[in-house]
Amino acid sequence: MTHAVMSCLHANLAALEAVLADIDQLGITTITCLGDLVGYGPQPNEVVELVRERAIPSCQGCWDEDIIEGLNSCECSYPSQLAERRGHLAHQWTADQLSEANKVFLASLPMTLRRDRLLFVHGSPNSQHEYLLPDMDAFAALERVETAGADTLFCGHTHRPYVRDLRDGSIRVRIQSSTDHTSPAERQMPLPVRRIINAGSVGEPRHGNTNATYVIHDEETGSVEIREVPYDLERTCQAIVEAGLPPVFAWRLSQGFEYAERADDASHVCER
Amino acid sequence: MGHTLLISGPPGCGKTTWICQRLQAHRGPRAYLRLGGFGDEGQQQARDGGIDAAVLQDRVDNLLDLANPDHALAPRPDNLLALIEVPQFQPPSASGPDGIDRRLIPALDAHHLVPDAHLHFGRDRELPAQDTLDFRRLESWWHNLSGTVWDPASLSSFWFELVNGAYGDVYRAKALFNLPDGRGFFFNWMVSQSGSQFEPLTAVAPPQGRPARLSRLVVQGKALASGGIETTLSDCLLSDAALELQQAALRLPVPQPSAAS
Repeated sequence: MTHAVMSCLHANLAALEAVLADIDQLGITTITCLGDLVGYGPQPNEVVELVRERAIPSCQGCWDEDIIEGLNSCECSYPSQLAERRGHLAHQWTADQLSEANKVFLASLPMTLRRDRLLFVHGSPNSQHEYLLPDMDAFAALERVETAGADTLFCGHTHRPYVRDLRDGSIRVRIQSSTDHTSPAERQMPLPVRRIINAGSVGEPRHGNTNATYVIHDEETGSVEIREVPYDLERTCQAIVEAGLPPVFAWRLSQGFEYAERADDASHVCER
Repeated sequence: MGHTLLISGPPGCGKTTWICQRLQAHRGPRAYLRLGGFGDEGQQQARDGGIDAAVLQDRVDNLLDLANPDHALAPRPDNLLALIEVPQFQPPSASGPDGIDRRLIPALDAHHLVPDAHLHFGRDRELPAQDTLDFRRLESWWHNLSGTVWDPASLSSFWFELVNGAYGDVYRAKALFNLPDGRGFFFNWMVSQSGSQFEPLTAVAPPQGRPARLSRLVVQGKALASGGIETTLSDCLLSDAALELQQAALRLPVPQPSAAS
């Protein structure tokens, strides 16, 4: 079965509509969303309602959690005072805009979704806030997938799509018997291939251009296609300004930059 | 016997850099004066808020500031090199001292200065060839940042946004910024050059409160979003509490390695 996986919509309606249109014209009917439906962007209600209307299974992203749990479940992830101030402003604006029904919907989203050996998360199986970057230490990446009991882990959060196969992994253990004090026995256990697929971002791309990204995965063949979809960027930028959000948000989106920088620590996990 | 040079040219052509190099290379006493331009010559665009003088004072030891009346009116020491900087867009009408704009004469007289040479960027070969921009059609905006201290990571983001067009079409930006550890930095960027110049000042203030040194931001360009710049500035500057939090850690004594027993 071929299915589509998207992430990090960030209240960007024009981008979501373009991605859904692309998926529809490919005839794909199974879609999974990896969270961050809201945050920074100008149309939080419209985006949540479209996801609900299309009955797209979604897990909860860090922004979805923050809106429900209150400011700010992960302020330690901001790398600068400027990023923190902008993040707080966007958080407050989004919380004020969201309808109660949509907040209840975001609160109901699960941390993870599982379909057989496929696992869907926002950041990592450990936390919505952890970044699984493409150059993350191979063992740490393998540990995340293996511990979660998955063959393939779908994640988002970094806003940069990638596919990473974890091959040739092995665990070497040394066993010292409590009764036999001769040399400890050493065993090496090969690990099967594991895979991490990052879906990029629909609403706040930062992979080098302004196109929305998502992925198509074929469960039978294992093939993955990273799709790039142009959308009406000007419409979203205009909506940002009309909503009273900082105009610099529109500029950053139009340049393919994130609204506020992420922390550089790839293994960062909020210790709230 | 001293030497008094008047250096003119458009903003951004490299006057201050050249002047700094000449002053640093001179073995005797040195003096500097910056005169403003004229309204029909884009005086507003040339305004620098005192940044050039402050950078030169930092870079050149014992530099006499001729804007200070005590220095201007005092007897000139032997072998004094006095350099006078003037923003000027149009090439002079004549070569040498005869080409000095007559409107400058009262200011020069007031400082007891009689230039024995006049060099203009874009005209005289003694000066380096520079890409000069026509700033007369540009807006100019500046902000007094004295007493402010920046969150360093926020400063990096702000400067990136500023010179990449987030707040309008910026053609030139230069500034003196303070950091929590007491360092001051000169930032300089021009649209015609690749990359920004980031140079630390040699004078470092103790990490105790807000430095008293001059701090300014000057921007020239088109359709400048000054309101947006000011909003971002307020999000980047440290409050007293945040500054004290950062400086308290810097004031802790550095642990010394214990002597081997």
